[in-house]
Amino acid sequence: MRMKHIFRTIICGSVLFSAVSAWSAELHGRSSTQFLWFNSIFTGEKQSELAELLRFSVTKIDAEDKLTLHGYGRISHDVQNGDGFENRLFYLYADYSNLYDKLDIRAGRQFVNNSAGSALIDGGMVNLKNVGPVAFSLLGGRNVIYGIDGELTKGGDTVFGAAATLTGYPRTDAEISYFLKKDTDGVARETVGAMFKQYLFQGMKVYGNTRFDTASETFEEVLVGAKYFASVDLVISAEWYQSYPTFDYTSIYSVFAVDRYQEGSVRADYTINDMFAVRAAYKRQDFGEDTVGNVYEVGLKVRPLTNLIVDVAYDRRHAYAGDLDGATLDVLYDYTPKLQLAGGIAYDVYQRDSMTGDTTAKTFWLGTRYKLDKAMSFDLRVQDNVDVGDFKHDWSGRTAFNYDF
Amino acid sequence: MKKAFFICALLIYGLLAFQQQSSAEKMSHKEYANMPLKDCNECHKDQGIPLTHDNDWAGKHHQNTDWMGEHRALAGKGGANCIDCHTQSYCNDCHTGGGVDAELNRTTFKLNYLPKNHRSDFISIHPIKAKDSPQTCLRCHNQKYCTDCHSRFPKGSLRIKSHNPLGSGAQQYVASNWRTDHTYEARRNLQSCQACHPEGDVCIQCHSSGKVRPHPRNWRSGNFKDKSGGKVCLKCHMPGTY
Repeated sequence: MRMKHIFRTIICGSVLFSAVSAWSAELHGRSSTQFLWFNSIFTGEKQSELAELLRFSVTKIDAEDKLTLHGYGRISHDVQNGDGFENRLFYLYADYSNLYDKLDIRAGRQFVNNSAGSALIDGGMVNLKNVGPVAFSLLGGRNVIYGIDGELTKGGDTVFGAAATLTGYPRTDAEISYFLKKDTDGVARETVGAMFKQYLFQGMKVYGNTRFDTASETFEEVLVGAKYFASVDLVISAEWYQSYPTFDYTSIYSVFAVDRYQEGSVRADYTINDMFAVRAAYKRQDFGEDTVGNVYEVGLKVRPLTNLIVDVAYDRRHAYAGDLDGATLDVLYDYTPKLQLAGGIAYDVYQRDSMTGDTTAKTFWLGTRYKLDKAMSFDLRVQDNVDVGDFKHDWSGRTAFNYDF
Repeated sequence: MKKAFFICALLIYGLLAFQQQSSAEKMSHKEYANMPLKDCNECHKDQGIPLTHDNDWAGKHHQNTDWMGEHRALAGKGGANCIDCHTQSYCNDCHTGGGVDAELNRTTFKLNYLPKNHRSDFISIHPIKAKDSPQTCLRCHNQKYCTDCHSRFPKGSLRIKSHNPLGSGAQQYVASNWRTDHTYEARRNLQSCQACHPEGDVCIQCHSSGKVRPHPRNWRSGNFKDKSGGKVCLKCHMPGTY
């Protein structure tokens, strides 16, 4: 059945592309043929997957270029264990913009979002614009939920949303929105959202975002931030964020009392010159019931040569439910215009349980990209996770042949 | 009185500022899509509009740690102009999986691209990271994703901090002070309970009707009853008693 479905998709795709070539339409996109190998975390067995990823856009279908088609999907096959094919369609939609200069219509599988929620849907979205200082959008469809290996969507999983967005003010963004999620047992979530952004003076920006859960009548998330561009080279940011865990109303967990989580963050990014850029950040966490945490990060980006970038970062979390100390090193080197070399290390020391003491997680990776020409490139990336679960060395990697058309 | 005057003055200033801006239109950035980011400043500086894509852009997901959430606020709104320069796959690769544009420094879990905050041995580290703000995980993962993974491990085989082994294939929540310890832990991270006990069967044993009340102080029972048709209520209460 699945093979039949895949075959049908390929045939439809071929017909579509051949039809496109007959028009004056333009077809652009990327094909990425990948071979990935890794150890299954469930069985501990080696797994090798051959995957084809295709992303395309068809434009200039009509004279005014109002109608466009977009698609992105993946088909893969476990060539080692013969577990068959798996396919994912991330999006496949038709976009018709500026109908009567007022309507944008998008139909098909697509990623949709407004300030109250986001989802991958099989459905549609309509934007009404140029009707004054406020634009409106409506969205709805089948809620597509992907799990580890495939789709987990059940009958009745649907989402609907609406938003009113302020337009025409280059220095101001604002929106109020609504998001409704349903499943087989009824309404699973009903959320009202809002966002704003305002540029102030020369180089100041304030922004915020909130989601209000209508069943528990609580703000499940509130974010308020300010960013000050003291100069082109120095950016200082500060944020306050709180969340209140919410659950689908159709789940028993929605009836339990939970604690509010809050955090305040400050961060500075400074580009010293063409060679050095530094950053530092601090976050204070409040888990409720007088439990707090502290998180720090410092980072340095060095560009000793125009074709070499070295990024080093260290962060430390000392808080509820465990400590985490970690450092990363990433190196990117353009050996020639065609050949790129890269490598890195991630080293973490963490403690989840006072009984077990410190545990380390170490990752080493190497990669290379060779550009055959403007349209084609070849990637190879190999990674070793040391002392993970039952593995002394958990090797994984991927090769990719990318073709841009 | 002074406060009211201040608020009115602020509102008038706001209206004037809006009025001034209303003559201008938001511009499309399509023609600048392939321009290096550093060159964007030439226009932005003149107009006093700072760049959106600074060093910390999308920080919550692309830096080593979960820092600023600015991109959440801006990209989340309807009509966001991300599409001027990015295809939707740019969002998908982080939010729903994929990897057609995976850079060399991006690792993968199975076939899917991983954002940079899922670093090193994330399987082992994620219990700590998920405690910070569980709502953040839900930005990309449905709760079913957690259960889908946890359900594949034999019961009792995961090293849960608060659950002591009872022998092969069994664990039990053990705390020196049961009443307070499990309350704190569940209130702070109820999602982790749901990952292994999706139906909440272990909770209902003590928290069903007539036993220990699980609801928060400002409990709006009517809202839940209306929205889910009372199906959740019936797990603990007899019909007509809630």
